[in-house]
Amino acid sequence: MKGVKVLILGLLMVFGLSLIGCSSSSQKASSSGEAQDIKAIKDRGVLRVGVKVDVPKFGYRDPKTNKIDGFEIDIARAIAKKILGDENKIEFQAVNAKTRGPLLDSGQVDIVAATFTITEERKQSYNFSDPYFTDGVGLLVKKDSGIKDLKGLNGKKIGVAQSATSKKAIQEEADKLGIKVSFLEFSTYPEIKAALDSGRIDCFSVDGAILNGYLDGSTVILDERFSPQNYGIASKKGNDALAKLVNDTIKEMKDSGEIDNLIKKWGIK
Amino acid sequence: MNGPFAAFKWKAALRDWVIFADGLKTTIAVSMVALAIALIIGVILGVFGTSHNKILKKINRVYVSVIQNTPLVIQVFFLYNMLPHLGIMLPVFTVGAIGVGIYHGAYIAEVVRGGIEAVPRGQMEAAISQGFTYTEAMKHIILPQAVKLMLPPLTNQAVSLIKNTSVMAMIAGGDLMYQADSWSSYNLYYGPAYVITGMLYLLLCLPLARFATKLELRTGV
Repeated sequence: MKGVKVLILGLLMVFGLSLIGCSSSSQKASSSGEAQDIKAIKDRGVLRVGVKVDVPKFGYRDPKTNKIDGFEIDIARAIAKKILGDENKIEFQAVNAKTRGPLLDSGQVDIVAATFTITEERKQSYNFSDPYFTDGVGLLVKKDSGIKDLKGLNGKKIGVAQSATSKKAIQEEADKLGIKVSFLEFSTYPEIKAALDSGRIDCFSVDGAILNGYLDGSTVILDERFSPQNYGIASKKGNDALAKLVNDTIKEMKDSGEIDNLIKKWGIK
Repeated sequence: MNGPFAAFKWKAALRDWVIFADGLKTTIAVSMVALAIALIIGVILGVFGTSHNKILKKINRVYVSVIQNTPLVIQVFFLYNMLPHLGIMLPVFTVGAIGVGIYHGAYIAEVVRGGIEAVPRGQMEAAISQGFTYTEAMKHIILPQAVKLMLPPLTNQAVSLIKNTSVMAMIAGGDLMYQADSWSSYNLYYGPAYVITGMLYLLLCLPLARFATKLELRTGV
């Protein structure tokens, strides 16, 4: 009987939590005409951005200088400049696929610019900007495996990152080709690489841009790219003024050719 | 309504209940095999620990020290990613069961040693004087008495063991934790996913924990 009580108590706690979650997510425009979400950032004087620190050219912390740099970092700086007039009034927080959603929900970061693929399901939870980059899912295999294309992966195991959209993308392509593949999901990229090295998986598949960081002497990236993935800047639902401002900034940067310049600057294919 | 616990996220989780059920099945299966392995290792090494034979005692000390003082995560990672480099490719289910079994074997060995040492020494001396060999005395006189003392802590070990099988999430083990991670990280409906997962672990572990409390009350330790 006591066990039942504990279970009920647990459930009550959960619903209590969900109520807190609801009440804190409502945002209203303040009387001064400036939306509260933007005002909060201005009052704080710094824009908090969730970025990747392990994806070379997009968001990467250089172990020598300890500085975070990349394509997405530059975009985030442009947004900080738009809101606060200074591209250095910005605070970066390292995120991964698993933490970026919760960090947005809890308000610890204002926006996330972290190779975040836009999907219909995710749009229900977060505001996404228009895409600033389109990347395809790529395949990394061992050179000595002799695998040349997706067809060669028939009956093989493919390692993907949790939360990455590559699983769905590859599965669709495999169905078209009529081949069978299975997927193993890992939470970090180094873990997938370790599994490829030990032969647990035959192929490492994530977005092409990310894959480049894991290329070494014994591996090769296949030429094929699958189902283009659109990266967008995410913000919390309810912070709609912020979402609009972010989107306007991205639009301006696209129209002015700045995005293309940045892509060239970072040598992204 | 939005936020991590939005109603539509709960609906999605309930619609995909099969995924969580699959994970739960794997977790239960791995837990049972791991528990069997842990008990075998624990009883053998626990008896070693009480033996007068120095070598056996040493084996117990080394095993318990090494396993208890390294993280389970590293032990499992070693079985998963290092053994293949030595030409041994264990299936992931086996890696989980052996990894967690070896780990808890060390703790159970201590429980068993403690239980045996709590049986008054006169019992062993009396058995030997009656013509029992050491092994016979252990089997018929000492262990049956020790088991009573060992049951409550053993049950607690079983609870820890079940929770620790969640380490398999790291090696794509298909257990409950892995399924929750996998499901929620794609759609980002992590709220309901982890609450449901937590509840399922609670459902597995709570009855065992309460059983242990009951045993403790009965044996009066």
